[in-house]
Amino acid sequence: MEDVILKMEGITKLFPGVRALDNVQLELRKGEVHAVIGENGAGKSTLMKILLGIYIADEGTIVYKGEPVRYTSPLEALSHGIAMIHQEISLIPTMDVAENIWLGREKRFLKGRLIDRKARYQATEELLEKLDIHLDSHAIVKNLSIAQMQLIEIARATSYDADVIIMDEPTSALTDVEIQLLYRIIRDLSARGVSIIFISHKIEELFEVCNRVSVYRDGHYIGTHNCDEITQPELINMIVGREMNNLFPKQEVAIGDTVLRVEHLSSAGVFDDVSFEVHRGEILGFCGLMGAGRTEIMRSIFGIDPHDSGKIVMDGKEVRIKKPKDAVRCGLGMVTEDRLRMGAIYALSVMANTTIAHFYAICNKLGFYRRSNEMQAFSSIRDTLSVKCSSHKQKISQLSGGNQQKVIIGRWLLTNPKVLILDEPTRGIDVGSKSEIHRLISGLAAQGMAIIMISSEMPEIIGMSDRILVVRHGKIVHECMREDATQEGLITYAFGAQAN
Amino acid sequence: MRSARRQTKVLKGKSIMNTKVKKSESSLISQLLMGNKALFILLALILIMAFASPVFFTSDNLLNVVRQVAYSAVMGAGFTLVLGSGHMDLSIGCMVGFVGVIMGKAMESGLPVPVAILVGIIAGSLCGALNASVITLFDLPPFIVTLATMSVYKGSTYLITKMVPISNLPSSFVFLGQGYIGPIPVPIYIMALMVLVMYILLTRTMFGRHAIAMGGNAEATRVSGIDTKKVRLGVYMTMGVYVAIASVILTARSASAQIAAGQNTEMDAIAAVVIGGTPLSGGSANVLGTLVGCLIVGVVNNSLNLLGADSNWQIIAKGVLILFAIILDVVWTKMYANMAKKKEAAAK
Repeated sequence: MEDVILKMEGITKLFPGVRALDNVQLELRKGEVHAVIGENGAGKSTLMKILLGIYIADEGTIVYKGEPVRYTSPLEALSHGIAMIHQEISLIPTMDVAENIWLGREKRFLKGRLIDRKARYQATEELLEKLDIHLDSHAIVKNLSIAQMQLIEIARATSYDADVIIMDEPTSALTDVEIQLLYRIIRDLSARGVSIIFISHKIEELFEVCNRVSVYRDGHYIGTHNCDEITQPELINMIVGREMNNLFPKQEVAIGDTVLRVEHLSSAGVFDDVSFEVHRGEILGFCGLMGAGRTEIMRSIFGIDPHDSGKIVMDGKEVRIKKPKDAVRCGLGMVTEDRLRMGAIYALSVMANTTIAHFYAICNKLGFYRRSNEMQAFSSIRDTLSVKCSSHKQKISQLSGGNQQKVIIGRWLLTNPKVLILDEPTRGIDVGSKSEIHRLISGLAAQGMAIIMISSEMPEIIGMSDRILVVRHGKIVHECMREDATQEGLITYAFGAQAN
Repeated sequence: MRSARRQTKVLKGKSIMNTKVKKSESSLISQLLMGNKALFILLALILIMAFASPVFFTSDNLLNVVRQVAYSAVMGAGFTLVLGSGHMDLSIGCMVGFVGVIMGKAMESGLPVPVAILVGIIAGSLCGALNASVITLFDLPPFIVTLATMSVYKGSTYLITKMVPISNLPSSFVFLGQGYIGPIPVPIYIMALMVLVMYILLTRTMFGRHAIAMGGNAEATRVSGIDTKKVRLGVYMTMGVYVAIASVILTARSASAQIAAGQNTEMDAIAAVVIGGTPLSGGSANVLGTLVGCLIVGVVNNSLNLLGADSNWQIIAKGVLILFAIILDVVWTKMYANMAKKKEAAAK
């Protein structure tokens, strides 16, 4: 029996309306590299946040080095030797490498009341040398590459003499050479007895660097295996696993003519040579992992971000879309992924939020409007989408997530778009509203609207779409019809693993 | 089990209905209080002064108060739009002087008064357009841009005038600042008109709605198919027009275009707007509140005068007022929220 350094058992975490984690476990042995894997929303990051004390578990125990613990902050966890390297770099760009590594621990370099900078640089160089990282300790962080920043984060974590280091998708921004360097450092750390929790989306890399893998799905613990005792397809099965429920009221609709055609759309470093078309009455699903470029493609088509080259053709005519206004005038509508930042206008009322995209049509030529006209437009949406609000003056911020989303979808329905783009239309929405929104989307397609739907939830994509495109690394890597789509197949393409 | 669940559902439905009834009774008063905090402060002040000074409640004195705030009310009305749309304009004070000397020069060169005023309005809106264009073109924070253009307008005023004020303005122009129509001073008419126009702009037009939406969430507004750059241009140009009208009042009242006219009054405008209940964060705008805010400042100044206080106390009083209004706003909102919570808890 190998040494178990950390054991989390029976962890349950409830969020309002959602059971984020349900009786989940994780066992970490001393010196092992342990992969934690699952789809978006599987509960990986919630589990890590509980370990670090960012969230408090509703049930369950954490035993660390043989003692039950319950941390209340990442700082406390860190002081006990549990360090996390986040996906987003958390360094201070204007400071140099040494300053960043020892940030908050300047006391140990005090000479009188001043910081002994020389000693700090020396300590930094010793640390970097120990890890075999070649970096100038005087370099200003903002001039470094993402990979180098990640190395600094790792150096900082080890400088705490951490016994457990959590790495959240550490390779997502790295090139192949840099990844190899990272692997070497990981192996090195593990040889010195440091345990590493390795959160990743890339299945192939697990087999390269990890000893064991734990799989999570929809807030449940699925299982733990030694990496050399499991095959890629078996692992994918564990990740996807769930059965399809018939939550999705997809209506069969006759597919009409092409409405929107996108040809060779490219944006350097974001997505590349994207071509597809969508027809009247069709729901076109876009799946892929977070950061694969799905959202970015749609943002470009809608004129939120620019693109470098390519054509957008609406109803057979090429259109130039430079800003969202152009897109709206062409007959596009878009429900954005980030409702808080890009969708709802929290300071405004439910009615103002509903009518905003359509407002120019409510006003007369001089730009004046009648309140009754606005009220009429709002009531029609409130009734057809059954938005629950106490009055039209209620602030949208006071509505539930599902009702907010209905308001935003309603905002676009008023403009009567030919193509409606929905980016994660049901994220963060309770199950009841979710199926309401699914029914709504299906009904819109039945009326002849072309729908493009991005979703990270495989059942939603397969349940709702007529046709599915898989995006990976900014490219469309796979296309299939609804009847040919399987979760395993789509996941395989999304992860970029080899299909067997 | 099932029937028990149904029972709780029914109960819940009942309690919701109960709170609704209660709400409509007691919330009318609290809502009235919440929506018109500035107005209640003003009324309280007037009530106190009516007892404290026999002169205060005479029509002469009251008209005097209103006439004195006419200038800042026009500035404040324009600034309500700027703040409501999520922007900032520090240059408006110096813009007043700049537009003033341009009108002065125009009249000096023999242009008829209406044409000179038109020139001033165009100059004001061009200044606003410059502010907006720099902000949009280089994607800069409005605070910094208008801080810079403030200096540009100030320097331009000094250069144009060679530091000599322009006096001997035509009497038909001076009438706009000093004259009366019936018993009421002309600036009050101008003020009323400009506040009304802004009220209509904010509550009845597409431009107003788009501007407020932009103040609430600029990115979401842009994604909703609104050309936020154009809206910004409109906001600053409108502010420029309001500056020009305010400049007419100020220049006509002193019967000369002073080189330092309007300087630092941007702060008064900000104060009035904030006291009036338009949040600094944008997303809502209350121009009537701004007018009340101006009146509060005017009444306090007038009261201190009548009570024989050192005029420097007025400056301190303004500061205290701003703090008082903000603190009251925070405390009141908290109390309101707590009350609602308690009610909810009681209903449960």
